[in-house]
Amino acid sequence: MHLQRHKLMALTEYLAPRPAVPERCLRPAAGPQEEENGYARLLRRQVEEVFRDSRMIAVCQYNSMPGDDMVLMRHYLRKHNIEVKFFLNEIVRPVLSQSRYKNLLPLFVGRNILLVSPETKAKEMLRVLKGVPQVNLLGACIDDTILSRQGVENFAKLPPLEASQGQTVGALALLPSQTCSLLQHGAAHLTALLDRHIRQLRDGAGEGGTPAGPEPAQSPGAP
Amino acid sequence: MGWWRLARPAVAGGGAGGAAPRAALRSWAMPPDYSGVTFPERTKLKFMEKVPAVPKVQREPRRLRDIRGPSRDATELTQGQYGILALGGGYLHWGHFEMIRLTIGRCMDPKTMFAVWRVPAPHKAVTRKSLGHRMGGGKGPIDHYVTAVKSGRLVVEVGGRCEFEEVKPFLTQVARKLPFPAIPVSRDSLQQMRREEEERRLNNQNPWTFERVVTANMLGMRKYLSPRDLELKGRYWGKYFLKHRV
Repeated sequence: MHLQRHKLMALTEYLAPRPAVPERCLRPAAGPQEEENGYARLLRRQVEEVFRDSRMIAVCQYNSMPGDDMVLMRHYLRKHNIEVKFFLNEIVRPVLSQSRYKNLLPLFVGRNILLVSPETKAKEMLRVLKGVPQVNLLGACIDDTILSRQGVENFAKLPPLEASQGQTVGALALLPSQTCSLLQHGAAHLTALLDRHIRQLRDGAGEGGTPAGPEPAQSPGAP
Repeated sequence: MGWWRLARPAVAGGGAGGAAPRAALRSWAMPPDYSGVTFPERTKLKFMEKVPAVPKVQREPRRLRDIRGPSRDATELTQGQYGILALGGGYLHWGHFEMIRLTIGRCMDPKTMFAVWRVPAPHKAVTRKSLGHRMGGGKGPIDHYVTAVKSGRLVVEVGGRCEFEEVKPFLTQVARKLPFPAIPVSRDSLQQMRREEEERRLNNQNPWTFERVVTANMLGMRKYLSPRDLELKGRYWGKYFLKHRV
């Protein structure tokens, strides 16, 4: 190559741009967001349905169990209409944080399962879980009330709804049932006293002959 | 559906708490769509003759300008999805053709992939004088035939129901053996290369470019440069393609 051409090539080389702030000092851009996974959307919908349709939702810690023990536990819970649900934490957490169950968020860390049921049979659930040492109750949300483990135990000790309803009704109906006897109390007392008096007089007259005719039966008269 | 059935350790999901390794939701990528791929009749590379059907009687001059500069033909991928791009000029003779044909034929699967030539069979006659003789005595007889390849031309194209990563190993193997620098390319990588070239040209901070100096004939530079340097713009020197230059 001719010397002049060499010089020209050296002069006209590429110079890279040098911004005032080097790129490595700037935070990298957030990058392309991963598109919504249809499967994740389906799972989120299922979580929302579960939270909407069930009255009792218990969150339990789940340690690995033998498979047949798991099947037995599920069977016993199924008998009481309690279902065992597994959800991924990364799906449940966003769903909960945007619903009104925000206070349940600390429970969804680590390995857990959900026991859901449209009825609130806490006593049977606790009995089954007592027989399974690998599943420990962490907390529950029963009828939109968040309960801790102690709260669930207390809830289980409560009498069933029908019995307590019957008790309440009985307690409320006790007073009106006494109204009738209270109103008739005075007249009944007087009637009893008069009857006793008549009996005394009859006994006295029977002993000492019949000096006088029978006492004119004086009816107490219309009070 | 439960997490205990997923493989561990899996890709970390959203910002959920918990110690690693954690199981996360597996995202299933869609398999690639090969619906638009049409296979030619013969999937393997055609055999290229050493000598054209009508051998040349008249010996032709050397004409090295068929190596110089950028290529005008076969610069884009047409039938296949991947190919070998020449980054320099050179001549391909029958030995190169056989090497390419046999290597690609050995490494590809004729049921799922196909390969086509993008260069013609050797047609240019190259003469050689016998060894050990002094200069003079006329032009030597025709020794062999070659095809001229300019830089930016595709040599072979490969396509079919395959990914670039499957095809790349044997295409690089072939590309290394060619007499000029070559690289395997796919449609995306070719576009990427062209885009990067354009970006470099645009964000060059040097106010003095070869093109500018030559077109304005600054300092009488055209005395030392060739008239073809107006088109070549300092990116080509003989058969070489200077990739680092803008």
